Amino acid sequence: MITSVHFKNFCVACKNTIFPASPTLVYIFKVLLASFMALGISLKFELEQPRTAMMTVAIVMHSRSGMVFTKSIYRLLGTLVGVAASFLLVAMFAQERVLFLLCMAIWIGICTAGSMIFRHHQSYGFVLAGYTICIVGLPATINPELTFNIGVTRVSEIMIGLLCAGLVSDLIFPQRIWTVVSASISKRFSDFSDLVIAMEPGRTRVASGSHRVKASPIIRFVTDIFELESLSASSSLENDDSRTYRLKLNHLNSAFMEVSTTFHSLQQLLRRHEDYSNPIVSECIGELYQHLKAALLFEGHVAQSSSQASVVAIQIRQYRESLPSLLKDSRAQLLRKLNAHAQADSDRLDFETGVELLQRFVDELYAYAMTYASLADANGQSGMAKNEPPHFKLDFDVLTAAFAGLRGILTLVILTAMWIFLDWRSGVEAITLGVITSTLFASSRSPSKTVRQFLIGALIGTFFLYLCNFYLLPNAKDFLMLMLVLAPAIAFAAWVTTRQAYATIGAGVFIIFLMHSGFNAALSAEPVIFINDAIADIMAITLAGVMYELIDLTNGRWSQQRLSKNLHKLIVFSCEGPLKLARVEMERRLRSLGYRFSGAWQGGTRGDGEMVDHLLSSIEIGHAVIALRELLAEIGSRSSLKAGDEIVKGVAQFYASPSHRRHDLVVASIAEGLADLDTDISKKELAQGIRLQFLTTLHLLRSVLLDEASVFSSFRPMNDLERTK
Amino acid sequence: MPREIALFDALVPTLLFAFLFGAAMSWIIDVVFTRYGLYRDIWYRALFRLAVFICIFACCGLLVY
Repeated sequence: MITSVHFKNFCVACKNTIFPASPTLVYIFKVLLASFMALGISLKFELEQPRTAMMTVAIVMHSRSGMVFTKSIYRLLGTLVGVAASFLLVAMFAQERVLFLLCMAIWIGICTAGSMIFRHHQSYGFVLAGYTICIVGLPATINPELTFNIGVTRVSEIMIGLLCAGLVSDLIFPQRIWTVVSASISKRFSDFSDLVIAMEPGRTRVASGSHRVKASPIIRFVTDIFELESLSASSSLENDDSRTYRLKLNHLNSAFMEVSTTFHSLQQLLRRHEDYSNPIVSECIGELYQHLKAALLFEGHVAQSSSQASVVAIQIRQYRESLPSLLKDSRAQLLRKLNAHAQADSDRLDFETGVELLQRFVDELYAYAMTYASLADANGQSGMAKNEPPHFKLDFDVLTAAFAGLRGILTLVILTAMWIFLDWRSGVEAITLGVITSTLFASSRSPSKTVRQFLIGALIGTFFLYLCNFYLLPNAKDFLMLMLVLAPAIAFAAWVTTRQAYATIGAGVFIIFLMHSGFNAALSAEPVIFINDAIADIMAITLAGVMYELIDLTNGRWSQQRLSKNLHKLIVFSCEGPLKLARVEMERRLRSLGYRFSGAWQGGTRGDGEMVDHLLSSIEIGHAVIALRELLAEIGSRSSLKAGDEIVKGVAQFYASPSHRRHDLVVASIAEGLADLDTDISKKELAQGIRLQFLTTLHLLRSVLLDEASVFSSFRPMNDLERTK
Repeated sequence: MPREIALFDALVPTLLFAFLFGAAMSWIIDVVFTRYGLYRDIWYRALFRLAVFICIFACCGLLVY
């Protein structure tokens, strides 16, 4: 007799043996099960195209349940909107095909642009709304009276597919997003600790082996933040732990955002110290930094889990408490050593700037470690800030979105022109696939590579299709046989989609195979039609690929220029925007800019390095300007620092339209500001702490502006270099 | 109860509304369970959610037919 205990044991055994050994097998099994469920139900209901339901399953299936739910919702929404738009168009222009196609092109353009503005699943929803109009609207032009039926059938088929995919992925060996997220955040913490420990003040150049401080880890962290954010957004539909953790995750992300930026500034500052200032300064800061490294270690290695991180957090707090006394010693030491040299003033300023940044870094590191540690206790609120963390909204580049829309429109126009003028039998298929290809991959990091993979997938899919349609399907007598016929191709495609690097090939196999497989209400196995359709598919995908190459938005000079324009705008915003929001808003925009352009950075060319440098130096300047503005607001009207507002205005003007003259003006006004601070009046008027903060902020700002590695090096006359030395 | 309801002159099966109602109800129950941590005592949460949904949907369906 099988009791519940037996069943439980069986489940546990399954979990322990099969499951960890081969999640891929489980995934393939889930895809097969869900697609055959969808197939069976659609056949039972006698729907027109059971393959649409199977295609839906194939598209939304993912190894994590939360991803399936989120994608399902957007697929449903996109389809509904697309179907509604098709009804409207058919109702208005059924007889006028030029007007009809024109409106269709505009609709697809709008949807493609929308898919560039939003990301991930939302973006996919837009793509769907766009190409559904081809699937529903184009057949409807041939017989308009059937439009409503076609639309309703499509929605029903998609619903069936979504339900099957959702049920299977939630019920059978569900894999929660939370496990991925928690693995990724603990890896991030230990990676970041490694990075902090690896930095050697005084030897940053030697460590990185090049002139510049290596920026790639920072870039990786930037993209990481966004991926984590989207994962956690998807997990909102999952039920278990994920939802409880979401708020904490947001806090963790914003804390990490701050600490990684500050770390980068610190790194840059230390490098500049090496280049320009007295080695003693680097030495003293290096000593302070050594203690921090010790605080980051847990029993000799970096923290691997959140419980270890809580120990580390306590160590960091102890370090932070001991910092003032350490600082006192260090300052005394510095003075002693400096007495032997001249120019003590500027060196002391260098030292104070470094210390200020180091203190900020330690504060933020502590906050980050505490937030991470608080993940260990599920309900604890310790270490969490009470205020709402910033949301990672999206910014978009109007021009990029417009060009993406244009690309979709052009593909459609070319294919429809071919359809109409050549009287092309497979025109509808070609248009549909061309529009899918030219919109679906618009937001991918490097579309032309993705389309190439998709083409390979399409070829493999066509091969499977040929075997299936002409040798196997005619012999399939019942449902079991039908399943056996379809299983190999689906299993193969599912397996390919689990390989991260080749996922698009799998998608290509799925889409082509399920689009043309011959089991409709009536079996169609006509070789001529098949070959025509296959040629149409290949042509459509190739054309889309050519369009991606022609209107290339992710690579080269153009995207660099867009980036630097956007960065300039951002700095102007940090100078002129509302002060209360400035910091959060700037961080958010910077990160999303970085994410958007990071696709182009994998080549490692010289231009890439410049772009990364530019992004990071903008972060520093933005921060420094905002810090300055905050200080100015604090001292208010009794400002003895007349040059303060001038400096902010100057920086804004310089970035609004960069030129030698403006750069010189800014640098001059900063020098004036520093001189102002040295006068007796300001010494009397300003508290010692605030005056020091002013000094260090201005010094930081100037040193970034003058920085050799900064992109604006061309604006800097040579004698500045001498002056800083 | 009528088996089909005219929605803007398109006949929609009443079961569809039963389905939507069931989905809404089970979502509310789900939120309540998560909020008060009642899922602790349930072995297979996903299965439980599905079962709750099927119960509600089936009851509504019986009302229609």
